[in-house]
Amino acid sequence: MALGRQLTFLTTWGALMIGLLLSGTMAMAGPPERPLLDPEAYPGTYHAPSHGPVLFVNATILDGAGGRLDRAELLISNGKVEAIGHDLRRPAGVELVDAGGRWITPGLIDVHTHFGTFTLPQTSADGGASDVTEMSSPNAAGTWIEHAVRPEDPAFRHALAAGITTLQILPGSSVIFGGRSVVVKPIPAVTVAEMKFPDAPQGMKMACGGNPKGYFGSLGRAPNSRQGEFAIMRDALQEAQEHLDKRGPDGRGGRRDDADDEALMDLVSGKLIVHVHCYRSDDMARMIDLSKEFGFRIGTFHHASEAYKIAPLLAANGVCVATWSDWWGFKGEAEDGIRENAAFVDAANGCVMMHSDIPVVAEHLNVEAAKAAAAGRRAGLSLPPEHVIQWITSNPAKALGLADRIGRLAPGYNADVVLWSGDPFSVYSFADRVYIDGAPLLDRAAPTRPSDFELGRSILGAAR
Amino acid sequence: MKRLLPILAALLCASPAVAETLAITGVTAWTMTGRTSVADATIVIADGHIRSVVAKGAVPDGARVILGKGRVVTPALIDPATQIGLGEVGGIDEERGSSVGKGPLGAAFDVSYALDPNAITIQQARADGLAHGLLFPDGSAGAPFDGAGMILRVGATGASVERSRAAIFATVGAGGAGAMGGSRAAAWLLLRNAIAEARLYRTAPRGTGPRDQLLNHLDAEALAPLLAGTVPLVIQTDRLSDIRQAMALAREERIRVVVFGGGEAWAAAAELAAARIPVILDPFDDLPVSYDKIGARRDNAALLARAGVPIAFSVSAQGIHRSWNAAPAMREGAGYAVAAGLPYVDALAAITTGPARIMGLPPGTGTLAPGTAADLVLWDGDPLEPTSAPAMVLLDGREISLVTRQTMLRDRYAPHR
Repeated sequence: MALGRQLTFLTTWGALMIGLLLSGTMAMAGPPERPLLDPEAYPGTYHAPSHGPVLFVNATILDGAGGRLDRAELLISNGKVEAIGHDLRRPAGVELVDAGGRWITPGLIDVHTHFGTFTLPQTSADGGASDVTEMSSPNAAGTWIEHAVRPEDPAFRHALAAGITTLQILPGSSVIFGGRSVVVKPIPAVTVAEMKFPDAPQGMKMACGGNPKGYFGSLGRAPNSRQGEFAIMRDALQEAQEHLDKRGPDGRGGRRDDADDEALMDLVSGKLIVHVHCYRSDDMARMIDLSKEFGFRIGTFHHASEAYKIAPLLAANGVCVATWSDWWGFKGEAEDGIRENAAFVDAANGCVMMHSDIPVVAEHLNVEAAKAAAAGRRAGLSLPPEHVIQWITSNPAKALGLADRIGRLAPGYNADVVLWSGDPFSVYSFADRVYIDGAPLLDRAAPTRPSDFELGRSILGAAR
Repeated sequence: MKRLLPILAALLCASPAVAETLAITGVTAWTMTGRTSVADATIVIADGHIRSVVAKGAVPDGARVILGKGRVVTPALIDPATQIGLGEVGGIDEERGSSVGKGPLGAAFDVSYALDPNAITIQQARADGLAHGLLFPDGSAGAPFDGAGMILRVGATGASVERSRAAIFATVGAGGAGAMGGSRAAAWLLLRNAIAEARLYRTAPRGTGPRDQLLNHLDAEALAPLLAGTVPLVIQTDRLSDIRQAMALAREERIRVVVFGGGEAWAAAAELAAARIPVILDPFDDLPVSYDKIGARRDNAALLARAGVPIAFSVSAQGIHRSWNAAPAMREGAGYAVAAGLPYVDALAAITTGPARIMGLPPGTGTLAPGTAADLVLWDGDPLEPTSAPAMVLLDGREISLVTRQTMLRDRYAPHR
């Protein structure tokens, strides 16, 4: 593929040179500049709805950063956390919410979804051409998943109802470079722009191991082996690095390359957070080697069933792990998955978090953390709730590059808040109220407005 | 034969450990013989069977005492739809014992021949507290039939076929459309035709094939127990219209039908109850995952149970839990059903006695009634909280090892060692 691109480059450049010579405009010595692709070309339009201050009293608060406050208070105003503690000041006109001993946590964060692209209801039409991944080439780095997202996907509403206030939409894992991710708030919307988390860094999805080689191998194309995957990665990254070098320190040298190249230049220059789908310990270790060769950092390994086997290596390299609580065995790469995976990564001082991948898991991300922690406790680890909540709040915030804005209940942080009906780590608990940027997005006791999808469906009408 | 005798003798000598008399004291016992639990119960076990479950009951002389310390005991779990033992690992064709895509086998496809008692999925399920499971096929060469399911007995050391061909499975709707070649109408027509032809096959003189028979002799013979009423037809389907078709099929053909999936079953709860048609469902199934489940809702189980429909739980998670986390996923699903309004005892029944009845296991299976096999679990917490796990599992009165390949990996890589 790299060779093909070079040929294209030579041909195009040669034709241009000939044209220039014929027209005699020799004054233009440098290459003509095409404007670079604009990374800000698809701005979000999200505006936090304004809502008056709210004071929660008599709550058990897990602050998302390791702290627990009993019979405590939380004051939110102007979309931010204003104060957390005891006997807080009560601004005039503040809305008082008596938690009655119920639990409050930061809004949950899910770093791995395909919502809006593998849209519910799923059908046979999705089999050949869903919008999860551009699968025409193992390198789809130039794609932006946000160009495909349908906000109407019921998975968003269900995630919000389960206390999720921020989620990342990732391309799938059938290709090596899956494209740019987008971080959104699961709010009712008709365009993805309305959901985009303001100024959130973009991620780049990569995949190693069985999926890319399995998919392209079945088509008789490259890669059909792990070593083939690595060769493609190294080729593409090497080329991106060369083009980046030509750009020079001001970023204006050289010429615009195709979207895949532009994305990989952003990857090697550290502008994109790298999310890698990997299951096996050997795959993850080799990916870390690759990142060192090209001087970029891997943000998070996703799925990572064998992370527990290399937990110190992951921690030493500052790579986070996003995983399920108990999925194993469903594919060869997950054969050695154990229920203690998350807890063992945590015990090595690693950054671990739960992810959903499929909508039904996103509905119970709190229970995912509960199960993973329970397994760790049975293995002798101390994992109190105030620590475990980080696996679904501040650790995923860090993985998204948003640790300064979400995932914690501390002054100045976005007022993303969940009031739970009981212990958030119990299967019996529901999110009673969910706030995003200080605005009440969900009240379990209030009737919900049917979505566009639900409107006029008689089976649902019967339910109401 | 002579050479075999010493081996047989050794086997016979190995089993009398079963005869140990046990007394588990100070537990909250859900016997599943009534709607309440027995507080501060003493459970007496002898000869591998439950002898008694009595509040503050006496400990028989010579019994080994297990202190329950206020913890909860339930019958061991029974899974109404699982695929443990039918493949070691997912995503590999030759490990997929649950389906066949070519050849003559439709209803005659019988998964019991694929059972591997050494599968790590069975090892894990045993340590997770599972005693019986209905292993189901998920695709045959004769759609809409998937084949025949078998009842698995998970024993203290091994696992075995308790009953093969215990139910015939078929899929109608979104899940089976591809295999059918199109409309679900064809699925219902073919099911009805298959039953009609199987009837004719029983009565027609041999060698005089009736009309242009579509069913081969293997499938026609496989459907005989269905016509005799000794096994049910388990129809995997979700849409309300298909559930009503299933009810009509049961009524008109006078066969036993079980609905498996039943995403929109709540909307026909009263009719299902009147027809005594059980529903095997996934309590987590509350999303419109397909157009057949637009009406899926999280209180499906609660609404069905309230109407009197027999229910049992099997949790899927895209099929992953059906093989690799069968027992804990059932408990988690039962807990979620409670959160969504199902009474606690009904949720517990949906993973013990409910499946036992649907599967046609002997009366008392899935309970701690005196005289039943001592299959039980002592839990380290609320059994319907997924954070809980077995502290002890007894099958046929024998304490089984909780060591699995997973715990061995855990111990090998545990931190602080």
